[in-house]
Amino acid sequence: MRALLAANDNGQAVALTRICMLAVSELVVSGAGITLMDRPGAPDAQQRLAHATDAVAAGLEELQLTVGEGPGLSAVTGGVPVMVPDLALATARWPAFASGALALGAAAVFAFPLQLGVIGLGTLDCHRATTGSLSQPQAVDGLVLAELAFEAVLDEIAGHPPDDLGWISDIHAEVHQASGMVRDQLGVSMQEALLRIRAHAYANDIPLAAVARRIVSRQLLLGTQE
Amino acid sequence: MNHRHEQRLARVFVELADTLIDEFDIIEFLNMLVERCVELLDVAAAGVVLSDQQGGLRMAAASSERARLVELFAVQADDGPCLDCVRTGLPVSSANLADDGDRWPRFVLAAREAGFSATHAVPMRLRQTVIGALNLLDTESNGVDEISVNLGQALADVATIGVLQHRAIDDNAILTRQLQTALNSRIVIEQAKGVLSAHADVDMQTAFVALRGYSRSNNLRLSDVARMVAEGEADIDAIVAHKQVSPHGQALH
Repeated sequence: MRALLAANDNGQAVALTRICMLAVSELVVSGAGITLMDRPGAPDAQQRLAHATDAVAAGLEELQLTVGEGPGLSAVTGGVPVMVPDLALATARWPAFASGALALGAAAVFAFPLQLGVIGLGTLDCHRATTGSLSQPQAVDGLVLAELAFEAVLDEIAGHPPDDLGWISDIHAEVHQASGMVRDQLGVSMQEALLRIRAHAYANDIPLAAVARRIVSRQLLLGTQE
Repeated sequence: MNHRHEQRLARVFVELADTLIDEFDIIEFLNMLVERCVELLDVAAAGVVLSDQQGGLRMAAASSERARLVELFAVQADDGPCLDCVRTGLPVSSANLADDGDRWPRFVLAAREAGFSATHAVPMRLRQTVIGALNLLDTESNGVDEISVNLGQALADVATIGVLQHRAIDDNAILTRQLQTALNSRIVIEQAKGVLSAHADVDMQTAFVALRGYSRSNNLRLSDVARMVAEGEADIDAIVAHKQVSPHGQALH
């Protein structure tokens, strides 16, 4: 799946379009959409629809943003996948979203956050016209696709060509520890801290884990200019 | 085993089974498991790795957050008793790691550097599903003793049910969600350790002890406090003040 995405990739939009298409075929859902969010949950939160495979997916994303609730938003703020195999049973949890989504023709929704620890970039929302749970392999595919979407979005923010998708899958504890350190040292967000570390690794052609290890062992202090 | 020890053990089983509470936090729960292993069993250190369900393993809890021990569980993504244990669903052991350098090149090197000589991994399994492994480590090269292994497996069994929160895991998508929640919580804890480490100029182990000490003193969930720290919403100085609180159940390395 990673190789398929990396091939002939020329940007975030293409990557996210492919991820949504793969979600439809691999998770066997009716449609999928990705909404990107900046500071989800904050009063000044910014959100935008990045891609939707069909009108229902687009409608669901717009509905969530309009009513300010839904599985995707819950997935991002809670930091966990949200599985709704039967939307009709979710009217108590999301009154406005559930009724609106049912009216759009969705019967089940599965939301996977684009996240790494506290860094949340958005959500991959999949919907089905029929009720029922995802199988375990389908749920795992949803996680993998959300991880790839996270990488594609972060690389786009950083201005890197997405030539090395898959770097999160072997990320080390030290990278997260170093992110926390840089966050405190430079007074930046966790997302910005990870971007600075990755930029340093990229610019100096050093593996991400090696840069992180040097930061954790206090041999490297990233400057405010980097 | 004396009477006192038996009573203590019975209490731990009750403690591990008590996961139907609203405040349940998987990472905190697994931390309790590995701490109790070190207290009750004749082992020097313990850790839990969970399956990421994509063929990989990730460290979820260690009886100490010292870098070398954490690294030891990280290298098991490539080779080691936990990987074999999760793949087969069966216990995997080495009574003397010096003899098993060919079997697990990376793991044996890291384990011996950290001062360990014997290892035993027991599966965390419920019926057909293996969610991870509990790894017991000892400093003496005559193997982890049988009583410890049996008790370790019993604790792992109870803990597995705890992680799955008594749910019927027929709905495997729920299992995926639970494991993903645990793995992401672990990342948040690493990010929070980094913030505290830089802020107070302390090592990662001390940062973790401060994080946990503050959580316990204030009756908060470890994962929630970690999230607040990582998002810059916590009173970091108040948390750092807990760095002197000694951890429950000291471990080597």
